[in-house]
Amino acid sequence: MTGAVTPRDVPALLEIGSERLDRMLATTGLWLDIGAATIRVRSDSPAFGTQLRAVYGYFPAIENAPWADLHVRIRKSTGVRRWLKPQATFHCDGLQTFDPFPAASPLPLFEWGCNWLIGRRLNDRLLLHAGAVERDGFALVLPAMPGSGKSTLTAALSQRGWRLLSDEFGAYDPSVGMFQAVLKPIALKNESIAAVRRFAPGAVIGPEFPKTRKGTVAHVAPNSDAVMRCSEYARPGAIVLPRWEAGASTRLEPLTESSVFPALAFNAFNYSLLGGDGFRSVVRLVRQCLSWQLVYGDLEEALGALESIWPRVLEHRMAGPL
Amino acid sequence: MERYGRADGVLVDSIGHLWAAFSPSSGETTLLNDESAAILEVLEAGESDTAGVCAALAEDSGIDAQEFVEAVAGGWPRLLEAGLVNRQTDTTAAW
Repeated sequence: MTGAVTPRDVPALLEIGSERLDRMLATTGLWLDIGAATIRVRSDSPAFGTQLRAVYGYFPAIENAPWADLHVRIRKSTGVRRWLKPQATFHCDGLQTFDPFPAASPLPLFEWGCNWLIGRRLNDRLLLHAGAVERDGFALVLPAMPGSGKSTLTAALSQRGWRLLSDEFGAYDPSVGMFQAVLKPIALKNESIAAVRRFAPGAVIGPEFPKTRKGTVAHVAPNSDAVMRCSEYARPGAIVLPRWEAGASTRLEPLTESSVFPALAFNAFNYSLLGGDGFRSVVRLVRQCLSWQLVYGDLEEALGALESIWPRVLEHRMAGPL
Repeated sequence: MERYGRADGVLVDSIGHLWAAFSPSSGETTLLNDESAAILEVLEAGESDTAGVCAALAEDSGIDAQEFVEAVAGGWPRLLEAGLVNRQTDTTAAW
């Protein structure tokens, strides 16, 4: 898979009219360069263009590109169904791979569908199940299970000067030993939505979708810096395993290599599939990176703790092989 | 005595105070203690049995070979299950 098809002189989705975007989606499609891959999306769903623009607003409105890794369509339902309980369906390579969503919720369907495809297809990268942000050229990787506050923390960091790489995929390219962006909106669920709104009132958050399989969902838009730099790699910096606990005081405890190894390897999307390359990649990461467990109940405190260790991370990484 | 060989393509690396080993045949990664990792290291030189591995470890460490028997004999099932070693066929038995 490859990205890097983004011409810098193309207007952003926010800069083009909704009619033009809808026309693109309905005809040739829109090419979204997310760093590690390019997605070509087409749609005839009436609600999709507006929702897409709300959270992909800074992405260039590329109408045609020589290559797309994923070709997807969001379609409105047809037949009698469209009158009774209208739905949106997700198609890739002509196949409908998911159950339909309500017609008013094409964006969550698009997001989940694309994440599923990326997790299955981007197999020239080691895909850690992790949030990832960058600063000073180094990646802070946040591997965690669902419900650990990974996306909330990633969203908070992305609003405070850390460049968003992904809230779902720590995409490590073994051929260069670096992380690459899989830049998509950050999916927040339930209480996390209000928590991020309180923490960063200026954050661009798309519409809320109630009653999804995961409760209420809303997406934080990547900012323009993250979009413009989505093809820039980041060297491995630090690994932090976050765990959100209501009311917990912030604790940041160093982890041994032997406890980080399984957290990376056995929580990755495609570790087994990559065989020896996956093994060598994880060994390399745990050797290069300092690691911590972060328990937090307050976003400000959590960010303060991460800021406090960052100089040590840089010092450690500069001292060793890059 | 049963003889064992290291499976083809096995990767072993130290991870902090443990060892991680990857078996291409099973596709699995296993975290190992020092004893199990040492067995794999001895088998890198060629197939062996419990007595042979213990003798090699004794020579390496200066500790009596008998001290290793329990750990080595008890280590084979886990290494076999993880696809890190193979039971070797005794080709002389038929003759």
